[in-house]
Amino acid sequence: MVKYSYFPGNVARQASQEVEDTMQPLCKSLGIELIEMVGYNGDGGDIVKQGNKDLQLALNARNFAIAQKNGHSIITPCASAQGIMHESLSNFKTDPISLAKANRVLEKITGNSLDVEELETSHLLHVIVDEIGLDKLEKAVVNPIDLDVACYYGPHMQRPGACGGDDPWNPSYMEKVITALGGRPIEFNTKTSSVGNPSVLSLGDSVMKMTARVLNDAKVAGAQILVSACTLSHSNLDSYQGKAGRIAGKDTAIPVVNFTEIVAFALGHHVDRYAQLRTRVLVIGS
Amino acid sequence: MPTVAKVWIEEDCITCDACEDILPEVFEVTDESSLIKSEVREDGLFDRNTGFSAIKAEFRSEFSDLIEEAADACPVEIIKYEFESASSEESAEEVAPVAEEVVATPVAATTESVTDNGVLANILSGDRSIAIFFGSQTGNAAELAEKTAKLAVAYGLNPTVLDMDGYDPANFNIHKRVLIITSTWGEGEMPDNAEELWNATCGSNPALAGVHFSVCAIGDTSYDEFCKAGLDWDEKFAALGATRVHEIKLCDVDYEPEWKNWVNLALPNISCVDSDGVFHSELVEAMIAYGAGDEEDSAADGDFTPPNIIQDEISVTLRIFRYDPIRAESGWDTVACALPGHATIEDALVAVQQDLDGSLTFRRGGVSGINPLTGVKANGRIVPADTVRISEFIEDGGTLRIEPVPGYDVVKDLMVSYDRYNDARAMSNPWMDADPRQGERLVSGAPMGSMSSSEATSLHTMADVGSLQLVNSMSDTYDVDSDYEGPGIALQRWVRSQDSRSGQNHTRSMFELLQRKGGVWDEADISSIHRHGIDGSQAADSIFAARARLLAEYKFTGKPGRLVKNYSRSLKSSGNVNETTLYRSVLGPLGLGSNIMNGVSLRMVLGFTRNGGPMMRGFQGMLVPPAGIGKIPNMFNSKVVNHHEVVAIFNELDRRF
Repeated sequence: MVKYSYFPGNVARQASQEVEDTMQPLCKSLGIELIEMVGYNGDGGDIVKQGNKDLQLALNARNFAIAQKNGHSIITPCASAQGIMHESLSNFKTDPISLAKANRVLEKITGNSLDVEELETSHLLHVIVDEIGLDKLEKAVVNPIDLDVACYYGPHMQRPGACGGDDPWNPSYMEKVITALGGRPIEFNTKTSSVGNPSVLSLGDSVMKMTARVLNDAKVAGAQILVSACTLSHSNLDSYQGKAGRIAGKDTAIPVVNFTEIVAFALGHHVDRYAQLRTRVLVIGS
Repeated sequence: MPTVAKVWIEEDCITCDACEDILPEVFEVTDESSLIKSEVREDGLFDRNTGFSAIKAEFRSEFSDLIEEAADACPVEIIKYEFESASSEESAEEVAPVAEEVVATPVAATTESVTDNGVLANILSGDRSIAIFFGSQTGNAAELAEKTAKLAVAYGLNPTVLDMDGYDPANFNIHKRVLIITSTWGEGEMPDNAEELWNATCGSNPALAGVHFSVCAIGDTSYDEFCKAGLDWDEKFAALGATRVHEIKLCDVDYEPEWKNWVNLALPNISCVDSDGVFHSELVEAMIAYGAGDEEDSAADGDFTPPNIIQDEISVTLRIFRYDPIRAESGWDTVACALPGHATIEDALVAVQQDLDGSLTFRRGGVSGINPLTGVKANGRIVPADTVRISEFIEDGGTLRIEPVPGYDVVKDLMVSYDRYNDARAMSNPWMDADPRQGERLVSGAPMGSMSSSEATSLHTMADVGSLQLVNSMSDTYDVDSDYEGPGIALQRWVRSQDSRSGQNHTRSMFELLQRKGGVWDEADISSIHRHGIDGSQAADSIFAARARLLAEYKFTGKPGRLVKNYSRSLKSSGNVNETTLYRSVLGPLGLGSNIMNGVSLRMVLGFTRNGGPMMRGFQGMLVPPAGIGKIPNMFNSKVVNHHEVVAIFNELDRRF
């Protein structure tokens, strides 16, 4: 059993409850013990950073201090959260002045200080491939994913050091996982492109066009469903799917699920939801 | 301590008397040139010593330091000298000195540091000299000779670059290793600096039995006598008994790639000639590996190790985007080929253009360095094609997908028009517009701004990116929003606004350009820029900094301002963001209405494609209008444990929220 401090991200316990519903059982099946980060706060979503960079860093420092107290590095199911945490942690590891500033605030407010040397952050995807192993994952499969799957990573964690041993530019970890789960990964061009989620409330057409580009690419490539490693981007890809298609003039109708969902389904959890998904693929999918 | 064995004067002495002032016992300056006195010379002559006569043994230790001092003091650097050979005086006298400077040999490549190199140990010891002759009319061959010399040190060689002009063919046979790089002039003639040597060689026909050689010839296939000068040297050396260790390479006008191919094999081959003048062909492969830096422990700790310039050939599949503007058709070419691992993307495109399809269009870089306009998108990365190696993207057997950079109109194939960038830049008034400052004036009397050196460093660091055009392409938004002027332009404006020399009005106009439509708020996701290496992170940091400043300047107005303010307040109020209140406060009633009309809210409420989540959650969200539009499970966030800490962090660092 490997242990991680669990950071759900900004939506898994809010609008995207399905992430939380599937993250917990799949981790249990794979021998990943999730240690609750009691009192964790939002990571700032790179939106707080637009107003005050030091404020977002301090909010992340508080979370890191909680994980440090737990004694375990952090795991998250969200690519955006992983990207933001990794950037903050790298900042603290490479810039002692930045760390000192955050520690000054932390010590004053919480009485704790941060030692970042031992701490790491990881996305669930990289823990499964790099630590748990694809062999073990394959053996745990109960309901193989007999679908053509497009894997969407988004841009946030696709940078050196933030995506485990995967290639930041031409990643393949999710495709390997899908193969291990019995699915057929479909290559498409925009799997690391942004869908503009940070600006979904402030920008109009351009975000919809970015969303439509990814959905249409996946669909044209022959995918039956799209799996998102980013729980924030999932909102664009799913809820805004119809609007995006209309604005961009592209076919965007394709079922979209979170990465945690597809893994949990294959491992035998929430069979009713998996059945629901397969029905949707028949009705909506290509 | 070695002493100076020979000293001589090259041409173009300016008769300044400096040398005679330092050492009158050796130097005497006449009306035409400084000369070496007969009293100190073995041959007893009084001239510039172009015959390289040795200094009499009894004077060497006495005058050695002063000869060096005189050479250092010579303003035109024409006093040349040679140290006594470490092995014996006799051998030093047998070898004619050379007028050119010996290329410095890095420590790692010296014979002393490679005594433990397995099968190469013997061959890397002893005399490792190599003579690189150039015959050059325009300087190209001379430049290649210098480059060859630099590469030669990786093979443990001590190179000397020699101008053919004035060289005595009788001295050819003192070299065990000879490389010749020559152009051809006119209708198959020798270049001017090689003419005399060629005639002298043909006249004297010296025996070259102990010489090993290879020739690189530069020419132009549009001439009948293509590369004739090189071919002549190649035949002549062979006819005089020299051993050809690598075949002659005939290079066309675009000679550099061909030269690279030649030098990558000529050097390891000729390096396998040992100090006794015996060629060991069986060691060539090991020597290639050694030159590529594959030998372990070739350098002691702390030594300088030459960069790994030469890499093994790899088999790759190139997928190249093609666009024909006449037919308005696009598609992909797939080419399987083998290329040196150190080849750049541009090298690969040139090879395809030359060998397969001359119509392939792309921008080429200059010989001298990086041309940012050569940018392409290679396996998802925005890079200048002329400086990035293929091996940085793929391994042997991999596929490299090459596309035009996004965000710009494609003119043909991989070539794009940068008009969009140029137009936006022109709109920015990018030139300096300073307010007058007391006491600071240009030579012309016009007032000028001023800044401290630390400010200057900070600004230069901020603006130090390879290509602003390519920075624009790094944004995933730039490609879909034709009104957006791009992160490259934003970076420029931000730097200008932070320049303390800028006048107040100019700074204000920069802020307005950044704030308005097309400015920094049109970037939908800064993380898509940030991941593109140093250039991307510089631009991303600038956009974050600009946004923070603009929010303060314009008091959180507009949708982006409301988003940042309400997101932060939502986070502060409970420790986590509540999307319900965020949607309501940012979009407002009209925005929410739009979402209803567009079907977004319906998809949210019904969980149309989502799995799980009872539909009741969606309906819960509708109970308290207008906040509850959307599939938002939590109307009110419960506060996180120790919520007061979150509030205190906000209060400590930013009380605006």
